[in-house]
Amino acid sequence: MRGMFKLALGAAAFVAAAIGALILWPIGNENRPITLAGDATRGAYLARAGGCIACHTDFAAGGAPLAGGVKLATPFGTLYSPNLTTDPEHGIGSWTVDQFARAVRQGISPEGAPYYPAFTYPFYANFSDQDIADLWAAFQTVPAVAEPSTPHKMLFPFNQRWGLKLWRAAFLEKPQSEPVPGNDAEWNRGRQIVGGAAHCAACHTGRNILGARKSDTQHFKGSTSLPGGGKAPAIDFETLQKRGWTVENLAFALKTGIRPDGDAFGGAMGEVVLYGTRFLTAEDRRAMAVYLMDDHSGG
Amino acid sequence: MKTTFLISALIAGSTAVAALAHGGATGIVKNRMDAMSNMGKVIKAVSPMMQGTAAYNADSVKRAAAFFAQHSGEAMTRMFPEGSGGKPSEARETIWSDWETFAGLAAQLGVAAQGLAVAADNGLMGDAAGTMSSDSMMGGGSTMMGSGSGMMGGGMMGGRMTVEQIGAMPADGAFAMVTQTCSACHTKFRLESK
Repeated sequence: MRGMFKLALGAAAFVAAAIGALILWPIGNENRPITLAGDATRGAYLARAGGCIACHTDFAAGGAPLAGGVKLATPFGTLYSPNLTTDPEHGIGSWTVDQFARAVRQGISPEGAPYYPAFTYPFYANFSDQDIADLWAAFQTVPAVAEPSTPHKMLFPFNQRWGLKLWRAAFLEKPQSEPVPGNDAEWNRGRQIVGGAAHCAACHTGRNILGARKSDTQHFKGSTSLPGGGKAPAIDFETLQKRGWTVENLAFALKTGIRPDGDAFGGAMGEVVLYGTRFLTAEDRRAMAVYLMDDHSGG
Repeated sequence: MKTTFLISALIAGSTAVAALAHGGATGIVKNRMDAMSNMGKVIKAVSPMMQGTAAYNADSVKRAAAFFAQHSGEAMTRMFPEGSGGKPSEARETIWSDWETFAGLAAQLGVAAQGLAVAADNGLMGDAAGTMSSDSMMGGGSTMMGSGSGMMGGGMMGGRMTVEQIGAMPADGAFAMVTQTCSACHTKFRLESK
């Protein structure tokens, strides 16, 4: 019995030490400070394309822009998008641009805590310093809302943020948004938006039991387990072709919300168009369609 | 003009158009499902013109606009009497708990459709303005974070635009005002089963 007790104690001490090490384990990279001047108009465009506004504005409840509060029910608990207004206490008004850069590109809070990957930062990792400066300038124009963010209600053990460090080590992948040589500017622009800001794969690629995208086997093959219980269809180029999509009608759908069969999007894709893609330029929507309708499996 | 014929046929026979199965719906639920299907068919018929992949025909667009207008406002809302939700209907219960928003979108469909009827003679953005982005109309889109009004403010979408304003847009822009209203309403009030 005594031996067992010692063993258990030893195991507990080991686990405690491992968790302690995890808690102290530094994550992310140091970046050069961002000194570029930002263009708020360009930043607002990127915020639209990236879904910042869609996910951090509680449209259903008539919430103020970027004041957060959108509920996201996941198998691991319930998340609420935080307040991103300029309020210094409840929003991001007291942040520096470098803290903002780290949050957006690396998913790490100013305190060094990892964010839940429901925040689609893995797609934003290739944002340039100029992109970040522009976004930051745009966020400075958002009126402050002095409302606290709703605390997340995550289940144990997912409420232990250090666990996310293991998740990052196992699953954090680079976005597929960098230019691929041999393709023209339009195709690469499409890739930059689709694989980056627009983060299409967040919904259209299935996830494993720990919520990581199965990018190697299920890329754009659709998902049946969106937060809140929705489904996203496959959008690999072969499925799109089979279902009657073309570059023209796909670019059109991203503006009008109309599918090739004449139906209008509802659900999550309705939100994507209403709060996002309809505000993009015709050129960018077309670039997205060109990329999506092409066999881009090699890149 | 295949498209013109199709739209005329749809509109002339809208009450007689054979419905799809619609999960065995009957009565008012079947009626509104048929009406939605018919609007979808008209949308599908004019979409290639709006994409520039079929020849543009202003008369077809006007007829389509009139059809949407006919189904808007009270014609739309009276097809959703209280208590008509639940299977096989795809209507969310929030239609009745947030009736004001639902009725507002139904009215907005009418405004956009009347605007489209006027805009039909403007032709497509591509014809009118060479390389100009087809977004410049909607587009101020980018300052929405600052002003807090317009896009981000009240209604879901250009809710405050008038028939005249929409009528001054290129036809494809006005058409998008119609379809974005459809999509806004589906997003808020339709259950997604597909």
